[in-house]
Amino acid sequence: LKNLATEWRRHRLAYLLVAPTIIFMVLVHLVPMTQGIYMSFLKLNQFTLSLFLKAPFVGLDNFTGVLFDVDNPVRAGLKLAIRNTAIYSVVVSVVVLSTGMGVALLLNREFRGRSFVRTIMLLPWVVPTYVVGILWGFMWQHDNGIMNRILVDWLGLFADRPFWLSGRNVIWAIIIPTVWRFWPFVMVMFLAGLQTIPGELYEAAEIDGANPWLRFRHITIPLLRPIIAIQLLFQIINGVYAYNIVQMMFGNGAGYPGEWGDLMMTLLTRQSFGSWLFGYGAAVSVMLMIVMLGFVWVWYRVFRQELVIK
Amino acid sequence: MTPRRWKRVHNAVLNVLTAVVGLVTVFPILWMVIASLQNNRSLLAGQVSLTNLYWSNFVQLWTHVKFFVYFKNSLIICGTTMVISTSFACLAGYALARFRFKGAETFNYAIIGTQMIPGIMFLLPLYMMFLWIKQTFGLPMVNTYWGMIGVYTAFFTPMSIFIMRGFFAAIPRELEEAALIDGCSQFQAFWRVILPVSIPGLIATAVYVFLTAWDELLFAWVLTTSSSVQTIPVGIRLYVGQYNNRYDLLMAAAVVTTIPVLVTFFATQKWFVSGMTAGSVKG
Repeated sequence: LKNLATEWRRHRLAYLLVAPTIIFMVLVHLVPMTQGIYMSFLKLNQFTLSLFLKAPFVGLDNFTGVLFDVDNPVRAGLKLAIRNTAIYSVVVSVVVLSTGMGVALLLNREFRGRSFVRTIMLLPWVVPTYVVGILWGFMWQHDNGIMNRILVDWLGLFADRPFWLSGRNVIWAIIIPTVWRFWPFVMVMFLAGLQTIPGELYEAAEIDGANPWLRFRHITIPLLRPIIAIQLLFQIINGVYAYNIVQMMFGNGAGYPGEWGDLMMTLLTRQSFGSWLFGYGAAVSVMLMIVMLGFVWVWYRVFRQELVIK
Repeated sequence: MTPRRWKRVHNAVLNVLTAVVGLVTVFPILWMVIASLQNNRSLLAGQVSLTNLYWSNFVQLWTHVKFFVYFKNSLIICGTTMVISTSFACLAGYALARFRFKGAETFNYAIIGTQMIPGIMFLLPLYMMFLWIKQTFGLPMVNTYWGMIGVYTAFFTPMSIFIMRGFFAAIPRELEEAALIDGCSQFQAFWRVILPVSIPGLIATAVYVFLTAWDELLFAWVLTTSSSVQTIPVGIRLYVGQYNNRYDLLMAAAVVTTIPVLVTFFATQKWFVSGMTAGSVKG
């Protein structure tokens, strides 16, 4: 206790500076989250909703039901949502990071109008994600969508017009707009990183006979690792918790994204606020959160050295 | 080919590639704007005219929907959130960047941790908490500006702290040390010396908060039910549900909601990019 008192005296300013944030985080994150975790042990559905936290306690029934009970209303959809979310978040992260890096390298040259081009390319990042969903939902239309007109009528890439918003194609119909929305920001971060790398490093390597690939591999990548680490983490989080784009793309925000488009968040929202299966929804959320914390732990192990603030 | 000529060709190829990437990137936005100015029938038939523009789509949008109200609500909620969140983040970010206090490590983890919570998990508890506050203290929370502002402030402060901390960490310590020697208190050193050089970071954080708050749909959808406080995403979702296949109007709505953030971004982009990247590059 004495330690606490001295600690308080030594760092009083620091504690006062973080206090407002802590208060908000406790009220809006910690308390509701704890209740949310508790909800996962309750039989909370349309009949018990009015009881809220006083609903019957059922232990781990929600978890075992969602995972193993063949008759559980959430289980079948959950399998699809896990598959789709895994594909979606991994593909989006990889493509966003590599496109971002590629274009950053393209723009890291001297040419006229460079800052203009950079600004133009950052535009998609400013478009709200719900607008991205509406816009691409229109662009992917089978008969009157601009994408089929470009891909089929003008470029002739497909013999028949593909249905983008049904069947297996849906996974691409949601991945492509997401990539389009998020790569520019990553590109700007990479570009800023590239511009801090001294040119002499590359010149020295060139004299030593290193080809462009080797220079990229042994100079650029290691020096950009801190940025890569952070952006990778945020892209994965973004992908796993994605909601707006997919939700707004189908049926003008009211439709079911289909077997190849339903993600964890669209599924959970539908089951919770559509079917009132809050207990099951909370159980799935808790499991998802544990998986994500595991992912962050692995991520931290891999990138620990880069993340130390000097 | 001589090396010099080869280099010229090489550069030309890269320039063409840059142009192609730029076009592909901007195209959907251009298409959104063009489509918003078409007659719906010809738009669906694939006939697009760049001369015969239907500005009436926007008039119709403005008169049919209470768009102005949604717009005003979004501005109030997102604007206030932006100010509060940025101030909190500025204070907490500075504390994390400069002081090794007990619990700083835990606080750092909590900041990343908040991003791992599926929003849907605490949406119902939050709604119930709102009802409970109303019952216990008589203070309405659902369908209020301050309810939404409170929630958004808590949501976007962690990421803002992350940005501000990186920015402060990139400022050399010697600045404050000089101020302390001159007789400033720690707080004065922060307020008078560090804050003025942190303007790009503050702007970047503010724009970041504004953009993400403008984008929030799920919580606004559940926590507001009256159009007098509903924000644009909610209004748009209600609106598009009514106007199936009126793609001209949908695109007009999309354009109108994009413009404020576009303007914000263009007005601040010089500081935004430098403020956003300063921390990540040196942090």
